[in-house]
Amino acid sequence: MTDTGSFLHLARPLGPSAPGVQPFTAPLKVIIQPQAIFSILDHSLRRQPDQERVIGTLLGTRSEDGSEVEVRNSFAVGHTETQDQVEVDMEYQKSMLNLQLKANPREILIGWYATSAELNTFSALIQNFYGGQGDGTWPHPAVHLTISTEAGKEVEARTYISAPVGVTAERAADSAAFIPVPCEIRYGEAEKSGLEVISSAKDREDRSTGLPTDIESLEHAIEEVLGMLERVSKYVEAVIDEETPPNTALGQFLLNALALAPKVNAEDIERDFNNHIQDVLVVSYLANSIRTQIDLSNRLATAALTLGSSGEGIEQTNGTKEGTGRSGGGQRGGRGGRNNREQEPREP
Amino acid sequence: MAEALSKPEPLRGVQLEALVVMKIIKHCSQAFPTTATGFIVGMDNKGILEATNAFPYPAVDVPSADGHHDSNSGTNFAAAAPRAKANVAYQNEMIRNLREVSIDANNVGWYTSANMGSFINLNLIENQYFFQKDLNERTIALVHDVSRSSQGSLSLRAFRLSPHFMTAYKENKFNTETLQKSGLRYQDILVELPLQIHNSHILTSFLHQLPVKPASSTIPLPISLADIEARINPNSSTANIGSSLYPNFDSLDLSIDPFLEKTCDLLLDSIESHHTELNNYQYYQRQLAREQNKITAWQTKRKAENATRQLAKQPLLPEDEWQRMFKLPTEPSRLDVMLNSRQIEQYARQIDGFTAGISGKMFAVKNNLLPGDSLD
Repeated sequence: MTDTGSFLHLARPLGPSAPGVQPFTAPLKVIIQPQAIFSILDHSLRRQPDQERVIGTLLGTRSEDGSEVEVRNSFAVGHTETQDQVEVDMEYQKSMLNLQLKANPREILIGWYATSAELNTFSALIQNFYGGQGDGTWPHPAVHLTISTEAGKEVEARTYISAPVGVTAERAADSAAFIPVPCEIRYGEAEKSGLEVISSAKDREDRSTGLPTDIESLEHAIEEVLGMLERVSKYVEAVIDEETPPNTALGQFLLNALALAPKVNAEDIERDFNNHIQDVLVVSYLANSIRTQIDLSNRLATAALTLGSSGEGIEQTNGTKEGTGRSGGGQRGGRGGRNNREQEPREP
Repeated sequence: MAEALSKPEPLRGVQLEALVVMKIIKHCSQAFPTTATGFIVGMDNKGILEATNAFPYPAVDVPSADGHHDSNSGTNFAAAAPRAKANVAYQNEMIRNLREVSIDANNVGWYTSANMGSFINLNLIENQYFFQKDLNERTIALVHDVSRSSQGSLSLRAFRLSPHFMTAYKENKFNTETLQKSGLRYQDILVELPLQIHNSHILTSFLHQLPVKPASSTIPLPISLADIEARINPNSSTANIGSSLYPNFDSLDLSIDPFLEKTCDLLLDSIESHHTELNNYQYYQRQLAREQNKITAWQTKRKAENATRQLAKQPLLPEDEWQRMFKLPTEPSRLDVMLNSRQIEQYARQIDGFTAGISGKMFAVKNNLLPGDSLD
């Protein structure tokens, strides 16, 4: 869905520039985080029925040498397009940009997106606005990301930077040569678990899913691993039966993987296992008894008054209360000690 | 909960758009370990609260070099952000802007990040109280546990304050007497709502393109080991979206100790503060007893004096002057104890759930390593 093939980096021609500032010409690579794409797709759903495409601003970070751009965030900008003119809500873009930057001070303006794969004259106009001096990304090139959202076709992401064309300044203002640059969708470690849940809903009719419990996700993972093992052993059997051509590299890889299985002493394993499982069970047991204790303590703190009339009630509560407090304190100390002992062998 | 059910359209659940999930994860993990908070917009659809978009509250610049104390105050500031006055303007402006691009502009709640399940504190209560009372009754608090999510499965939970607790908090009376009368227990403070994650059609079709299908049905066989490595992991620096997203093999991880140790530490801390609260309470009770003894002594003295005065035919002294002379100590609020108890319960359940999974995994590993013993 993204272009991962080879790219030819051409040094783009540069327009007239202010003296002293050297615009940027090095090759560029764009990395898109999934949440920016999600936000763009969401925006494309919320367009007016007569709108061909919607546009918005991309925010993110740029590496120090400027060769890598990471798109982390995006927001929608209203615009209207007719046959011969385009209007972008500049005021809105400015105020929204300010608000976004307040919340994410580390992110900067990267460029803009459109939800159709088409590039036209208006694209050039908007591109020049985003890449311009002052509010734009100057001296770095503005990145233009197109995500095709046509129903029934694949969602396709492409990224471009632009170079000015045209002999006169007026001509150059509304035209641009778009140069494709490679892009890639990447997610970070933290997003993995979220994406897992989101993509687990992709095969369901109602397109929604609950959050899996720990055990459920464990089950799924194990099932998947079993499936993979089956596929590999099928392949190996096919090779043995001389139905599939053998491959040395694959064989070597499988052998290496098998060699990873540790050779263990049965008694060692037994002992370590028992030690560890006891730790786990003790902690679990203690956690549950603590829960009961807390419940009890809270109940005692409020329940005592029902025993007596209101006058003596206070005295009675006091008595019970102090009792629980003391016993709770005593046991707490003991508990702490036990827990610490449990942890000690594992710490070194 | 019973009271909530009697309302015309009670909230039955929460439905999150994938976008909201991703935005929350991004914001919370970026701010980790400081607390991150933000605002959720969406709409209420027949008892199901649909959250369709979210935005973070403005970040506070915390000078990280200034040691522990400052980073703490930064955390406090961020945690209090949902009810801070300065953010209301920000929030209104953002909502107005979102409405302009036809995003749902109704407030449905707020989110916060948490670390190892330690989220039940006064900040959560105050924020949620502020939302439920002042802004919109039908709002939720979403809690995203960053450190638990990094261990495999996503931890995201939706909470509301129970109506019971709302009334009690409004009066701000948490002494023994009112608690006995209302029967409010610490388990009743928060009501958890079931959570669902929902994808749009276009997102579903996008997800179906991941991982990328091979261009042709026959893949050329690799020529060397390095070739395989390169194909498995084209980018070693970050995970590539080309690899399978579901299921997540992180849940097969066998590391037990860090999690248990951390939770045990937190649990012990909570018990410690529970103990402190109990001590405070005992102190109060001793004070109370002492004052009461003084009062009784004074009363007997006054009675005796009156008896002698009566004998001497002198006018009697009033016997209720003690109310002005002695001041009974005020009872410490039981709210802290209740929240702490709820927090301890949360930790205990967390440990319980974790050990359930881990013991299964451990038995599996053991039987795998010792195939002969598996039938014992």
